[in-house]
Amino acid sequence: MGERTRQALPSVLSVLLSLVVCWQLIALTRDTDGTAVATAAYLEMLWGGIGDWPRFIEGAAVTVLTRPLGEAAMKAALLTLTGLSVAVAFKVGLFNIGAQGQMLLGALAAAVVGAHVTLPGVLHIPAALLGAAVAGAAWAGIAGALKLYRGVHEVISTIMLNWVAVRLVDNWLVVGPLRGVAEAGASISGTAEIHPTSQLPRLLGDSSRLNLGFILAVVAAVTVWAWLARTRSGFETRAVGLGDEAARAAGIPVARRAGFAMALAGALAGLAGAVLVLGTEGRYPGTLGAPYGFDGIAIALIGNNHPLGVGAAALFFGVLRAGGTRMQLLDVHKSFPELIQGLALLFVAGRLIWLAALRRRSTPTVATAAPPAPAAQVPHA
Amino acid sequence: MLEIIHRLLFATLDAAPALVFAALGAVLSERAGVVAVGVEGMMRVGAFCAAVAALVMPTPLAVGVGMLAGATLAAVHGYLCIRWRSDQVVSGIALNLVALAGGTFLLETHFGPNGTPPIQQLAPWNWPELASVPVLGALSGHAAPTYLALLLPLLLQGMLTRTPLGLRLRAVGDKPHAVATLGLSVPALRWGAVLGGGLLAGLGGAVLSTTVLDRFEQHTPAGLGFMALAAMVFGRWTPLGAFFAAAFFAFGNALRIGLASSAPGLLDVVPQGVLLALPYLLTLLVLTFQGQRNSTPASLGVPYEQESR
Amino acid sequence: MSLDIGAGELLAVVGENGAGKSSLMNVLYGLYHPDSGEVSVDGRSVRLKSPGDAIALGIGMVHQHFMLVPTLTVAENVVLGREPTRRGLFDWERAVREVAATCERFGFVLDPRARVDTLTVGSQQKVEIVKALHRGAQVLILDEPTAVLTPQEADELARVMRGLVAQGRTVVLISHKLKEVLGVADRIAVMRRGRLVAEVRPSETSATALAALMVGESQRAVTGHAAASGEKLPSDALMEAVGLPVRGDDGRPAPGGGEKPGDVLLEATGLQARGDNGCPALRGVDLAVREGEIVGIAGVDGNGQRELAEVLTGLRPLTAGRGTLLGGALTGLTPAQARARGVGHVPEDRLRRAVVKALSVEENIALGRHTGPPFARGLWIDFAGRRERAQTLLASYDVRPPEPTLPLQALSGGNQQKVVVARELDARPRLLVVVQPTRGLDIGAVAQVHARLREARAQGTGVVLVSLDLEEVLALADRVYVLFEGRVTGQFTRAEYDEREMGRRMLGAEQAHG
Repeated sequence: MGERTRQALPSVLSVLLSLVVCWQLIALTRDTDGTAVATAAYLEMLWGGIGDWPRFIEGAAVTVLTRPLGEAAMKAALLTLTGLSVAVAFKVGLFNIGAQGQMLLGALAAAVVGAHVTLPGVLHIPAALLGAAVAGAAWAGIAGALKLYRGVHEVISTIMLNWVAVRLVDNWLVVGPLRGVAEAGASISGTAEIHPTSQLPRLLGDSSRLNLGFILAVVAAVTVWAWLARTRSGFETRAVGLGDEAARAAGIPVARRAGFAMALAGALAGLAGAVLVLGTEGRYPGTLGAPYGFDGIAIALIGNNHPLGVGAAALFFGVLRAGGTRMQLLDVHKSFPELIQGLALLFVAGRLIWLAALRRRSTPTVATAAPPAPAAQVPHA
Repeated sequence: MLEIIHRLLFATLDAAPALVFAALGAVLSERAGVVAVGVEGMMRVGAFCAAVAALVMPTPLAVGVGMLAGATLAAVHGYLCIRWRSDQVVSGIALNLVALAGGTFLLETHFGPNGTPPIQQLAPWNWPELASVPVLGALSGHAAPTYLALLLPLLLQGMLTRTPLGLRLRAVGDKPHAVATLGLSVPALRWGAVLGGGLLAGLGGAVLSTTVLDRFEQHTPAGLGFMALAAMVFGRWTPLGAFFAAAFFAFGNALRIGLASSAPGLLDVVPQGVLLALPYLLTLLVLTFQGQRNSTPASLGVPYEQESR
Repeated sequence: MSLDIGAGELLAVVGENGAGKSSLMNVLYGLYHPDSGEVSVDGRSVRLKSPGDAIALGIGMVHQHFMLVPTLTVAENVVLGREPTRRGLFDWERAVREVAATCERFGFVLDPRARVDTLTVGSQQKVEIVKALHRGAQVLILDEPTAVLTPQEADELARVMRGLVAQGRTVVLISHKLKEVLGVADRIAVMRRGRLVAEVRPSETSATALAALMVGESQRAVTGHAAASGEKLPSDALMEAVGLPVRGDDGRPAPGGGEKPGDVLLEATGLQARGDNGCPALRGVDLAVREGEIVGIAGVDGNGQRELAEVLTGLRPLTAGRGTLLGGALTGLTPAQARARGVGHVPEDRLRRAVVKALSVEENIALGRHTGPPFARGLWIDFAGRRERAQTLLASYDVRPPEPTLPLQALSGGNQQKVVVARELDARPRLLVVVQPTRGLDIGAVAQVHARLREARAQGTGVVLVSLDLEEVLALADRVYVLFEGRVTGQFTRAEYDEREMGRRMLGAEQAHG
């Protein structure tokens, strides 16, 4: 078994186990025909995520494929960005529980730039994205600074910052100073509608909501991967995360690397907020209920904190999440994929159990094929 | 004026217990060295199970069911973190996500989106003689958890600082290997603290369903578990400190609600959102200016392995 | 293996690092569980499932790394697990009285009310011993107890151990310091590679004979290496590797260097710095290092050696004093600047400071030098250049297995240290700061590290050697500074080496007048 496979296997098995357990859960909560309903619900989820191929083959319009796929892609884009946010922080040794708050701030910044700044289209989108990234980075930067200068553990500070963000944005700014006023003078919920120049262009026209945000997420994942794996500063960042004292002794500017990674984490989460606002919502809604920031923690860990693993996990759960709405046809709540995701994370948390089980299973074969054990203690000939 | 203070106190005493119990549970678990990020999830299952149980049994018993549910979730946490040395923050977050989505799933499947059917609330205890005394009278007319929430912090504080068990729990949170070499079981002590923490967090959730509300609602406990963590940090990881922090947060909330109804003009000056953010902001400020190192258990979050030192 | 321990004797168990001494004792103490075999106490076979079982049988253990809760008091640490109670509550006053009584009975001077983190290392060790005795230990196991003590403190510990034996208790002393073992033990058990290879009485043996027993077949390896490098007599290398002094009788410099040091690399006066706890750790140190000499820094653990090494490598800021290091100021030095000027660093805590164990071996070889060729090209990592350099170094330093892509943690401690030494010397440093370079290494690795340090000196590198092991300092250094409480309390050239006098200085005795 290759090292990469061995790294990825616990995640894959966890997801599979979670799918089985959740299937069983639907089956058990039905009085009649439990297993049939569960299977039907899973199929609905599948067709809702990757497109309704049966109906397409029967001759339905292509939109039965493009709409679900577009939804899945956009959900995957958001999960990728928040997942990368958590993963990048992990790489430098910080646990960013605060992607949710950073995403909120980013969404708000994008909504404000989108609605209150007038710019030509070429500049408006970058400006709004930049605003969101800066806002998210600043919010994450607070946690980074508290960690570096005051020794405050980032888990605690980012949890607190999440709630500060929720309260200040949802309970004050959006219902108070930044509340939008509709044309007729009747107030609407949330901030003002963004200008069309700041809307992320749709890639497939009206046949799906797939927009530029998806490309943005893919580029982000590949860029983060290349940065971490191929560049000097990426190497320094990983070294800081795996051993900050050794990194410092090696002349690596630990505080700068940690600060940059944390700011980048915040920027990525902020971009997720921007994609949400500029791509689908069109404004900061009354309350940004979607907990993509918290989902990012699950996606990062299921993706084993590898940028490309994060992308893969995000795609998978993006499909499930998009398909979740169709499960309602069978009276399964649309948040059901979140349960699958949560359980998968719980199983991933038991990574050591998986590794122990895999080791036990593979011991007999390894015994014959194993490379020689580390050299004996007396090396001189 | 006295009337206003009376009403504020009364509202605080009604609302605080859930937060107090959850914060105490978090303190217990973390003093033994196990991170308690999963308190929110434990509260949620406690609240859900208590509300469902109360449909078929007397409410006080249902509260017990809620506590057991919290402890069950804590047992999963313990199994992952103590038995398998998993990352305690990851495990806690996962439990929160499972409790959130699982609660929604079961609620929708069995009861629909508006929560469980209403249940019999825990009966308040009235002391007519006390009720007529100004201010102090606010102590009368609450359900049993309120009085327990006033007593338990003292008991836990005494347990931690004055009993052999407390000494061992503190030692296991600071230097588990030292405890192991004295023939004491690190896993047993940590299991005890984690399960105790789960019982308390479950109680906090159950109290929400059976006294503050009369059912389980879709968003219960709506972040109260995280506020309990804030109270724990704000209270420097001591039971009494966590109690005062939780009571202070609850009092602030009562004040905010009171202001919203009696003096809405004031809320234009200080918006509600800012007031709602205050507990978290204050906790951040405390952390910023006192640092964290002195009161945080030294081995918090560090998995214990016997054959490593 | 099997081993008998008689009642009322002082048994020493010796063997080189990794011979299995500590594992054996952890089995006796119930911390580890044997795969096979059994333990008998007083003729009865027992199963030790936990330290609790061992304690109940009257076995006590003082671990190499202290097992004390720093935030608790001495009394609380001692009674933990068998606390006196009154009406269910912990009776603190009685705990203090009980512990005071135990201290008095065995002649220890300790304040039961003091918090453990305020005590010196020597006192903390006493707390550990009292902890065991308080539990009625009849058999006391001490694991490398003198590793962190001064010669004087070690002497006191020897008296304590003899006193316990005189009272009818049994003491098992685990050590690799042959001289101290010969002085104190009734019987010596020699372990090698997990086996008992000899049991002897001190009167029937000598340090050299014991060393040969300890080393066994690897003797040839060590002496062979030393002979091949042509720097030392084979027997000297052997003695040195097991921690025995190697000195010419007439005090002449050790062969191979130190005769005519070159330019001054480092000159510093009045260095002051704070320790991790914020208290002054260096209180005015004057220091000079020249090309081609090894300068030893001796002292009891915690007297500023670590902080001094960190100041020289840019890891710790100065609070006062100044100095010139390789043509630049010492004030405001950063680790990156130190490296750029040509300072190499083999730190004490390898896994914390020197390497990142989850990174691959080649990534660790690049660490600290990763900004330039052959490890990087511009902003990008040069994978091919890195691989090639790593393979060259792994071969020339005989790192096993020579796999550049393995995670570093897959290597043994000795091989990890070789990677560190290889990396630092490959950078051709002008000044090399090494701290405890051989702690925990097996004998072959010790010999190689020592040989490499001498080789560096021969090539003109100035070496600052910080070691808690006075024997190691005496064996390698051309000059020695003794530090006590952040001050230099003694300076010795090789001709003036005197272990007793150095020990006095390590305890704070001032330089004699005249």
